[in-house]
Formats: sequence, C-alpha cells, structure tokens
Amino acid sequence: MKKLIKQGNQTGLIFGIVLIFLILFGLTTTLSEIVGDFLKLSSNARASNTGGLMVLFALAGLWAGSRVDDAEKSDLKSTLTFGVSAGIVIGLFIGIFILLVGYLDSVDVEMRAYLAQLDHQSVLFLLFGRSIAAGSLISFGIFSVFGTLGGLLTFTLETRKAGEYVQEQIFTVKGKVLGSKLAKQYQSNPRSKWIGYGVLAIVVFLMPQFIGRYWNYAMGTVGIYVLMGLGLNIVVGLAGLLDLGYVAFFAIGAYVLGLLTAPEPIALTLGFWPVLILSVVIAAFAGIILGIPVLRMRGDYLAIVTLGFGEIIRVLIRSDMMAPYLGGPQGIRDIGGPSIFGWNLSTEKGYLYLIFLGIIITIILTNFIQSSRVGRAWMAMREDETVAQAMGINTFYYKLMAFATGAAFAGLGGALFAARNQYTGPADHTLMVSINVLCLLIVGGMGSVPGIIVGAFVLKGLPEVLRELDIYRMLVFGGLLVYMMIIRPEGLWPAPRRKMELHLDEPDDLPTDESLVGYEG
Amino acid sequence: MSILETRNVTKRFGGLSAVDNVSIQIPKGSIYSIIGPNGAGKTTLYNCITGFYPADEGDMLFQGESLLGLSPDKITRKGISRTYQNIRLFPAMTALENILVGAHPQLKSNYVDAILHTPRQKREEKQALQDAQELLNFVELTGKGDLLARNLPYGEQRRLEMARALANKPAIILLDEPTAGMNPNESVIMMRFIETLRDKLGITILLIEHDMKVVMGISEFIYVLDFGQLIAKGTPGEIQNNPQVIESYLGRGDV
Amino acid sequence: MGESSPKKSTKRINSFQVIQVIISILFLAFLGWRLYNVIDSGVYGPDTWLRFALSGLIIGSVYAVIAIGYTLVYGILFMINFAHGEIMMLGAFSGYFVFEAFRSIPVASTGMSFLDSYQILSVALAFLAGMFISAVSGYFLERIAYRPLRGAPRLIPLISAIGASIFLQNAAQVMFGPKRRTYFNPSALARSVGWRIPIGGEEVILTYTGALTFILSAVLMIGLWAFVMKTRYGRSMRAVAENKQTAALMGINVDSVISNTFIISGALAGAAGVMWGIHNGIIYHYIGFIPGLKAFTAAVLGGIGNIPGAMIGGIFLGVIESLGPAALGIDFQLKDVIAFSILVLVLIFRPSGIVGEVLTEEKV
Repeated sequence: MKKLIKQGNQTGLIFGIVLIFLILFGLTTTLSEIVGDFLKLSSNARASNTGGLMVLFALAGLWAGSRVDDAEKSDLKSTLTFGVSAGIVIGLFIGIFILLVGYLDSVDVEMRAYLAQLDHQSVLFLLFGRSIAAGSLISFGIFSVFGTLGGLLTFTLETRKAGEYVQEQIFTVKGKVLGSKLAKQYQSNPRSKWIGYGVLAIVVFLMPQFIGRYWNYAMGTVGIYVLMGLGLNIVVGLAGLLDLGYVAFFAIGAYVLGLLTAPEPIALTLGFWPVLILSVVIAAFAGIILGIPVLRMRGDYLAIVTLGFGEIIRVLIRSDMMAPYLGGPQGIRDIGGPSIFGWNLSTEKGYLYLIFLGIIITIILTNFIQSSRVGRAWMAMREDETVAQAMGINTFYYKLMAFATGAAFAGLGGALFAARNQYTGPADHTLMVSINVLCLLIVGGMGSVPGIIVGAFVLKGLPEVLRELDIYRMLVFGGLLVYMMIIRPEGLWPAPRRKMELHLDEPDDLPTDESLVGYEG
Repeated sequence: MSILETRNVTKRFGGLSAVDNVSIQIPKGSIYSIIGPNGAGKTTLYNCITGFYPADEGDMLFQGESLLGLSPDKITRKGISRTYQNIRLFPAMTALENILVGAHPQLKSNYVDAILHTPRQKREEKQALQDAQELLNFVELTGKGDLLARNLPYGEQRRLEMARALANKPAIILLDEPTAGMNPNESVIMMRFIETLRDKLGITILLIEHDMKVVMGISEFIYVLDFGQLIAKGTPGEIQNNPQVIESYLGRGDV
Repeated sequence: MGESSPKKSTKRINSFQVIQVIISILFLAFLGWRLYNVIDSGVYGPDTWLRFALSGLIIGSVYAVIAIGYTLVYGILFMINFAHGEIMMLGAFSGYFVFEAFRSIPVASTGMSFLDSYQILSVALAFLAGMFISAVSGYFLERIAYRPLRGAPRLIPLISAIGASIFLQNAAQVMFGPKRRTYFNPSALARSVGWRIPIGGEEVILTYTGALTFILSAVLMIGLWAFVMKTRYGRSMRAVAENKQTAALMGINVDSVISNTFIISGALAGAAGVMWGIHNGIIYHYIGFIPGLKAFTAAVLGGIGNIPGAMIGGIFLGVIESLGPAALGIDFQLKDVIAFSILVLVLIFRPSGIVGEVLTEEKV
C-alpha cells in the first residue's frame, strides 16, 4: 500500500511539473481554446472559455490516475489508492501554483516582464475567472476527483477491454496506413504499383491548378524541403555522415543563381536555365572542396565542423566586407525567373511544377544509385567503415561522392528557393534550415522517400495549417527529436528495411566480443 | 615461388613488439597455418599484411610486389581477402548485399553509370547478382539471400563471411579462426570446405587457428608465433614434436 | 627478389600530407604578411592591443569554464552534449531573476534595494541559483534525453542532444519572451568601471566585472581540477571514463557517476552563464548557442576529454578571436569566422588537439 502511495505521488509530481511548464509555455491556454472550441463549451472570448481548461485538467487527472502498474490493476483498492494519491499531489501542486500566481497578480507584480505567458488575462483564465481561493480550490478539486476516477476506471473491467480494443484499432489502422501492408501489395504486384504511380502523377499534375496561390506557395516550400531531404538522406541515411552544415550548399545554390541572374550587385543577368545547372554544379563542387579536408574525421567531429562551416558561410554573406559582392544583409533582389518556350514559369504554379519535376528526377536518381555498386558501398561504410575498406572500397572517395551528391541537391533546392522568392538574403540561410531538413528526415524516416514527404508535410506544411501553434513549432520539434530518438528512431513512415534494422530481437544479433571470449582462452 | 611473403616484419605498440621480425613464405596453392597462444601477434600480422597497421619495419610482398604503404582497399583489390575472428558482416544489409559488397573490386561501373543507370551498369549488375547467387549456393545458403546478415545463425554468418571474401575472386584468403565457436562436427565440415576452396577454386589459404585438430588436419606447413616472435616452423609432424612449441602451449597450460 | 633491404623504411610519403604541409606554410605566410602590414601601418596603438587582449582573456575564461563541461561529458560518454550551451543560458536567466528579485526588495535601514545593500551576498546567491538551476537541468537532460540512448549508435544521442538544444532554446523563448534583457548588477559591479591601466599615453580599463569573471573562472577550474585529480570521487570518475565495464566491476556506480558528471558540468555552465550576464549585460534565449559552439571548439582545441586542455583551449580561443580581426585587419563581424576556421583547421591538422587527447584506442 505504501508503495502504491509513493508511486502515485511520484506520478502526480511528474504530471504536476510538466503541467506547470505547460502553463508557463502558455500551451494550456492555447490547448484549452482548441478543446473548448472543439467541444463548443462557450464563446471564443479567451478569459471566459474556462470550460476548455477544466476539460484539459480533468483529462490530465484521469490520465495520471490511470497510470498504475499493470500488475495492480485487478485490485480496486490498489488502483483507488494510486489514483487518489496521484490526483491529490497534482491538485496540491497546481493549486498552490495557481494560488501563488494569483496572489502575485493581485498585488500587481508584473510577472509578464519575466514570464512572458503570465499576463493578467492568463492568470484570470487559470483562476477560471473566479477569486484566488476559489480558483485554486477548483483546480485542486478537479485533479483529486479525476485522479480518483482515473484509478477507478482502470479497475473497471470494461475500461480495460475498451482500452485494449481502442489500442488494437489504433494499431491496426496505423498498420494499414503506415505499415508495409500497402507497400507490400504494391511491391508484389507490379501492375498495381504502376497504377498507383499513375494516380499519383495525375493528382500531382492537377493539384496546382485547383489549390490557389497561397497553397501553391506553401506546397512549393514543402516541395523544396522534400528535395533537400532527399539530398540529405543520401549523406546521412545512406552514407552515415552527419552533415549539420547542409544550409551552406543551399546558400551556395541560392547565391549562385541570385548573383548571376539579378541586376545587382553583379550585373550579369544570365539566363535562368544555364545558371540553374551551374548553381547545382558549383554546390556539388563546394561539397567536394569542403569534403576533402573534413571527411577524414570521426563522425561527431564531422557534425560540428560542418555546422561551423554553415555558420562561416552565413556570417560571410551578411558581412559588410563581402557586401559589394554578395549584397550584404539586404541580400539580392530581382532574381530572374524561368520561362520555357515563351511560357513564363515565374508564378507560384509554375514553380510548383518545376519543384515537382525536380523531386521526381531526384527520386529516380536516388533509386538508381541506391541499388547500385555505389549505393552498396555507401551502406557498407555506414555499417562498418573498417570492413568496408577491407572489401576494397575506397571509403574516402565514396564519402566525397555522397557529400557532393547531397550538396548538389541542396544547391538545386537553394536555387529554386531563391528564384521563386525573387530574393535571397542571409536570413534565408540560418542553421535552422539544416536542422529542419535533418528533423524532417528523422521524423519521416531515414532512407524512405514517402517518409521524407510525410516529414516535410509535418514540418513545413502542418505549421501552415495550425497557425496559432506557430510559436510552439520549434519547441515541439525539439522535443519530438528527442522523443523519436528514444521511442521510434526509424521515423513515422520508415523504409521497410530500416524498420527491420532497428527493431530486431537481441539474440539474433552478431556475436559481440564478450560472447567470443568464452572459447578463446 | 611464394605468392605471399613477409620479410622481417615488426609492429610495435608503445614499447611492446606485437609482431617481432617475422618472415613467412606462402607458396601458391598451399594451405598454411599460423598458430600460437592468445596475444601472440597472429591477428596483428594479418592487420599488417592487409594494410590496417603500417608495419614499423620490414616488407610484405604479394606476387613479388611490395604492399608497403598501400591502403587496405588497394591491397584487397590486388587479390587478398580476409575474414575476421569475431565475424564482421554488415549486419543491417542482406546476405546477398554483403556478397555484392565483397564483389566491389570486381565491378567496374562507376558513379556516373550508377546515376544514369546505363545499359553497361544494368548488364554488370545482372551478372554480379547471378555470381552472388552462385556464391550463396556454394556456401549452402541458398534461399537466404534476402535475410539481413544479423538474422542468420552463427554458423551461417561464418559461411556468409567466407562467401563475401570469395566474391573478390582472391588469389589468397586469410582466415582468422574460421572454426571458432563450432562443435567438432561443424569443424570437420569447415575443414572440408576450406580444402574445397583450394582444390576447386585454386585459392591459396593462410589460416589462424586454435583448434589443433583442424590445424594438424589440413595444414601443409605451420608457423608458430609466441610473444610476436616466430618460434618454430615446419610440417604438422615436426611441429607436434617440437619441444619449444610444446612448452609454449603446454607449459602455460593453454589448450 | 632479394635486393630490397629488409630494413627499408615503411613510410611512403602520402601526397595528401605534402599538400597539407604546403598549404599550411602558405597560409601561415599569408597570416604573417597581414599581421606585419597591420602592425607596420600602426592603425592600433598599444592600448588597443591591450584592450583586445584583456577582453579576450576574460571571454576566453568563460569559454574555458563551459568547455570543461563538454570535455567532462565527452570523456565519460563520448558524446557531444550539444545542449550544454542552453544549460548555460538557463543559468544566466536564473542569476538574472535573482538580481531582479533582490532589486525589487527595499531595505529600510540603508534606503537602497537589497541588491545594493548586501552586494556580496546578492552576487553569491545569484551564482548559487544559476549553478543550482543549471545543475538540475543538466541532471534531467541526462535522465530524459541521453540515458535511454546509452549504447545506441553514435548519431542517435547526438541528434537527441540537438533536439534537446532546440527544445530548451525555444522553451526559454516562449517562457521568458523573445526580448533582450539587461542584467542590472549591484552598484559595485557597474559595467565599464574598473581599474585604469595607463599605457602608451592612453588608459585601458580593466573592469571589475571582467576581473571577477576571470578570477572566478580560475577558481572554478582549479577547484574542479583538484576535485577530479585528488578526491576519491574524482578517481571513480576517471575510472568510468577509462572503462565503464571495469569500473562497474570495481563496484563503482556508473549511472550515478554519469549523473554527477552532468550535474558538475551543469553547475559550471550555470556559473559561466551568470558571469556572462554580469560581464556582458545582455541576455536572451539565444545567448547559449554561440558560446556553446565556441566552448566546444575550445574543448577540441585542447584535446577533447582533457581538462587542462579545455582551460588552455578556451583562453587561447578567446584571445585569438579577440585579437584576430584586428591583427589580420579584417572586419570585427568576422570574429566568429576566425573561431570556426580555427576549429576546422585544428580538426584537419591536429585532430587530437593542441595539448593532446586523452583517449584510448577502443574509444575511438
């Protein structure tokens, strides 16, 4: 019994701390608005939409109260003890916090100056629009009651079954949508595979005609990130080189295109198509030049050096010293756009088609290269560099090739990005670009083309939909990166083989050195 | 003429000589063994021959050419393959892919071929796949080509590693304890297999082995290393009766 | 066959090495030429050089304290704790909040705020708060983001660390707001006030904040060095760094040593953060990132895993980056370029650092 109380208190403590951070991030307010809107609890006025907050707290309480060990679930007394102790601890935690905040607010301490989310409105909201005492008591009450209820519900047989049922459903749906079932069908039947591609092609071809300018633009951004993700996938996913300075090649592509097609600062104004090709070539060449010295380093050193290189490029392009040649902090304006057979492609729609074309070509090339001698050499290097070299693979050369290929794709992405915006400047080329591309690769699933597309949508598309959550975007992605590394390192839509790689049972593993010690001596 | 020869090779780590002034000669088409207690420097000698450690002194000759200063990949491309004491496959690649990586030096298609998927590349790839299948059959792993290497049982991993080394079409293969962790039955099968390699494919074999039954059973000639030094050499019969060898093994209660 | 002598040198000279040497000679010659030009032209008097050197020493000592955190963690876990700079940022904010709280408490007897009435106490409490919060953050960082990944392939914890860094940075932005804040120091530590050093007819000010930063850094570093080398616990830390399995067999609780390593490096980062705030005066959610990278550079410079190396590397980097732009006659905006170029060059030409890496073969 004591053990259960202790466990309950611990759970309550964790939930309490996390909730307080959520309040400090202002996420509770945003979430309660969404919950309130969804349940149609009241009008939209922020301070009065306290119903949403109550629901949120209640859900948190229920969740905490139901987190008792599986072994104890069959005993009503145990689950209740756990639920009550968890609920009371969260209630105390949040209640005291609200009491404190309410008091500070009532004596006119400007908390907002220090904690940006705790303005007067938010405090009133946390107090459910009531007095300090009433507000904190209400939250204490909600947590205690719902914590207890959570404990009660875990015990109830129906809930368990319902829970299992729901879980099963979720997993089968997940399995159907995300798993390899569909993919397998396509693979096993080449005809249906081609039909699938055909349908996809028609959708891709028609979509830009109907979704309007804004969405064409947004989709274009997603597309450019898909392009860059495919490039980085070769470097990180296939060859196993963690490149954090990917933005450098993006910047090189953008600036080559910008400088050679814009009227300022170098008045060359060359044609779009040759310059586009040139920018890709120069980016690849830059990849080789950077790669020659750095690719002999250990993996994590490589990450930091490439990151440093990205920063050098960014500082250089915004410096006053280079301003006469690179446009300085203002960047480059009036970058030229493409036209083909007299059609002007410089519209959101035109660029979207161009980007789609780029993606299709990239996917085809990636597939070719992956199943070739070169792709195998990359994978072998990723698995075991020493042995790869002992297989006759010139590891340095192949690393260089991977680096250059990735750089070429980034250059293409950068060039298209600059042309579409008709502008490029230092603000487009921050470290965040590298991190974003890496994130989408990891979130989507390394080595998997659909995964990369899903990742780009989640990372670049979703924030367009959920505008009110925009300030939390990077916060959430930072957390997500950690979470994915721990829970699901293969990504949302993994390549089938990568899933195999990461979720295998230990006993089948290769013998380790320790296991060999036995028959050596 | 010997296909592989080391001349006074020395490799030091700190003040310690792991390999000390070792000269061996392996004639073409033979099966030779290197034996010695743990830490005698056998694997270090392999690492020197294959280019992973630069030798501090001495020279290594392969078919009359010096191997000094060559990187491991170049040495492999000359036709020297090896296996590892603790199997080192590419665990997350399939068995077939492992063999195809082994065939890397045999394939000629380059980066541009790979990107453009040229007919030349397609043809070569088809041939390589066929060869890899044959090797898979040769090591009796038929039908297991699509399994990840790490999912194969221990014995099959050993055989796969062998197949991967063979894919290079080597002139000589350096085996590092090929029967480690095997029961006597399996060891006998492995012995026969090694003999087949020599008899059917004409590959010269150099062997590091602990299992005396295996060593005495198949070696034509044996080198004995102890503390990095060559303490004896001779036919199995000579070695079995060499007092120094007996002392270095039995005197310390080893094996 | 027999003509090649058995003792023939085995070192065939690699063309890459030759190119390396030629490039580095050319590079050094170019640097020397720039330096000669700048000194010859007399743009900067001796006072300016001294000023740059002093500010370099001070910033360098902060880098050194942060760098120790990288080196400690790398020495034990062989991972780059990418979020270390963010831990320092949290420390800076904690110190800031302590100062702000004390600033708002009036003391009747002196007629001034608590901050100005009890200055030493306030500063001490600010440091304690910063070190405490950073230590706690470091502890939880390890528990949440790194411990579940122990034994995973090397890139996985690094990506997790990048995620943690992004998370902490944005959490601070959302929680504290994006605006830049001014550190209000106690009156005795007013910024840009200090001892005047006359040189070449001009005066150079050695600020009190700078002196405090430098001395405190030195004390912390020496204390840590003594702790690691002289105490029992320091010995078990070194044992874990040497070999985790063996240390565990010797009865050392490896998990707790790792946790404590994070706590210690967190506390150092926290102190560095408060020093940063007191000396530089401006803090916001992004301040940890660049110093973090610089400190990592410093750790690599000194040979990662090597504690005195990190100290030397930090001070060296601070001085170079402060003197470098002036010495080469280039824009001061480019000082980060100098720092990162040094990182790249060191990793290319001497990956084990200036002082030397303390790593055994199997760790690499």
